[in-house]
Amino acid sequence: MRIGLPRALLYHYYYPLWKSLFEQLGVEIVISDITSKQLVQEGVKVTVPEICLPIKIFNGHIINLLSKEVDYIFIPRFIGVESGKWFCPKFIGLPELADYTIDGVKSKILTVDIQGKKESTCEWTNYRPLCEALQVTPKELKKALKTAERVWQHFRDCCKQGFTIEEAEKMCSEDMRGSERTAHHTHDITLGVLGYVYNVYDPFVSMDIIKKLHGMNVRVITFEMLDEKRIHEKFKRKSKNLYWTFTDKIYGAAVELMENHQIDGLIHITAFGCGPDSIVGKMMELDSEKFKKPFMTIRVDEHTGESHLLTRIEAFVDMIKRQKISERRRELA
Amino acid sequence: MKVSFPYMGCVTGYKKVFETLGHEVVMPQKPTQKTIDLGVKYSPEFICFPFKVIMGTYIEAVQAGANVIVASGGNGPCRAGLYGEIHQKILKSMGHDVKFIVFDSMFRDFGLFYDNLKKIKNKIPIIKVLKNLWLSYQIICRMDEIEKEIKVLRAYEQKRGDFNRVWLEIQRMYDGCWTQKDIDKVTEQARKMLQEVPLKKVEEEEKIRIGIVGEIYVIMESSTNMDIEQTLNSMGIEVESVQYISDWVKHNIQPNFIGGSKSHQVIHKAKRFVKMNLGGHDMENIGWMVDFKERGFDAVVHLMPFGCLPELITQSAIPTISQELDLPILSLSLDEQNGTANNRTRIEAFVDLVRNKKRGGSVQKKEVKEPEYTDKVPEELAG
Repeated sequence: MRIGLPRALLYHYYYPLWKSLFEQLGVEIVISDITSKQLVQEGVKVTVPEICLPIKIFNGHIINLLSKEVDYIFIPRFIGVESGKWFCPKFIGLPELADYTIDGVKSKILTVDIQGKKESTCEWTNYRPLCEALQVTPKELKKALKTAERVWQHFRDCCKQGFTIEEAEKMCSEDMRGSERTAHHTHDITLGVLGYVYNVYDPFVSMDIIKKLHGMNVRVITFEMLDEKRIHEKFKRKSKNLYWTFTDKIYGAAVELMENHQIDGLIHITAFGCGPDSIVGKMMELDSEKFKKPFMTIRVDEHTGESHLLTRIEAFVDMIKRQKISERRRELA
Repeated sequence: MKVSFPYMGCVTGYKKVFETLGHEVVMPQKPTQKTIDLGVKYSPEFICFPFKVIMGTYIEAVQAGANVIVASGGNGPCRAGLYGEIHQKILKSMGHDVKFIVFDSMFRDFGLFYDNLKKIKNKIPIIKVLKNLWLSYQIICRMDEIEKEIKVLRAYEQKRGDFNRVWLEIQRMYDGCWTQKDIDKVTEQARKMLQEVPLKKVEEEEKIRIGIVGEIYVIMESSTNMDIEQTLNSMGIEVESVQYISDWVKHNIQPNFIGGSKSHQVIHKAKRFVKMNLGGHDMENIGWMVDFKERGFDAVVHLMPFGCLPELITQSAIPTISQELDLPILSLSLDEQNGTANNRTRIEAFVDLVRNKKRGGSVQKKEVKEPEYTDKVPEELAG
């Protein structure tokens, strides 16, 4: 049996988990191609025009998978992984959205409802529908979930040591120890790059911003490198919280990084039409004025030109570097 | 305390609530182009349209002297639940020191709910507060009922503008109600006034009924939806919209186990299309589409603010729903770029289609071949 995983949305965050899970259950995994202009165009053609870019890309990946002769396409419905918090409504309606926008996908959708209190999603009730679809016993599924959870936890630990998701994934699959590699390149400045995994780690959306920054001698910190406990619920006020799980993480990370004197600036990467980001972006903008941290928003859509992005990042980095040099001179004087 | 609140639906009712509690009310003004411009200027770019309009309303209210704003909250996952917090932050960054009292569901945090209640109840005994609330609720219910009727009758008025004049008069009359007796008297009088308006005679089979579903704010606030109800009425079409404040209150306070309100019931009708609600009125809206079809309506107009998270899922499903129900559905997405002519053309074309369908004119289905896209970038240039 072949199951397709779209290389989009939360794939980047949960890939090690799903890989381990499906492999243990004796299923072949087929991953869609890396996002390309062609693939995005396919998605744009079928999706409603005003929806956010990541969903258009997601649909592109599903169309890509349909051409790869898979038996199922795994589209989990993310409802919530913490109590009192949700995912963006588009995640909750994802299976329907795919079903209604793409022809011929209905019979292939394999969906599970992710609703629980564990970030690893590894509550067995979540994945119960897999038993019937993949013809495995509940016992096998439970066992596989346990191992998968451990693998994912290891992957998260790697992230928290300061590795990017790509590096952490590689480390997990090659089973390297954290000490064998070093996350800390030499660097002039440190920047926080804030954005959802499907924006920052998608080479089309972010245009490999992390690699570009590394190339400019910049150390990059993203939200998944920080400890959950420290970034948890910075927004909290009585009973009201920022009720989208990942948005809350981003905002928490932003506040944490703004309070940190070793961080020189922040870049927020957001996709056109992102709902939660419209709120959290404004909050970060207001906060950055309060903390006096350089802050830049990069908004990408399906038309973004690469050179314009590069110019903006270079200018931002140069500005911070110069400021740092002049500060150091002043200290010496 | 000088209290203000968002301009949404039946504002006469809210005014009554605060006046009976002994507050001074700074009446929010009906949003105009100026309000919208003001709101857009200070709001985040990609936030939903209602946020921007309400932002503008607040700024105008604050400039008129309001120092407390009362609003409703929410607990996600729709963005509306965070409106209060962000509005407050923005007003603060503009230098206005305004107190916000945001009412969230009392079932989630009763302590906070009670605290908020204490803040606005002005040392009036709780029994009296409840009595006042009930009075205001009665006013809202009656006014909503009358408005519903007007949206049907206005399609057949002989002299354009008759019903609008009557409606303004009725609103003024309700504004002067202080007891249940007043309300009953005014309601009776209002009904009489409605009956006196001369109507055109139209054959039953010639009548066209269109249901309006969608996001609550853009449906209720005519200045944000380019007065779509009025537009349709003036084309001789009966309109029924699904969102009223009285229904919203009913939906939220009437528990599900004693039958629930009508909006609870229609949600079941949506189950064949979507599995669960996404935090807005999306599932309810799909349910209403089914309900309108069952009640023999001719078409449905779906209104949503640009980029509305839950309604985007509904919008994605509309082509399928429309086909399966054999019901024409027009989805309009609204924001501050109000190209009135563009939308008017779309509505007119839609109405023509509906009329034709009703008269038995068949819409011939042609196999439309999708044009080949020629905007592909050649390989060597794509890099």
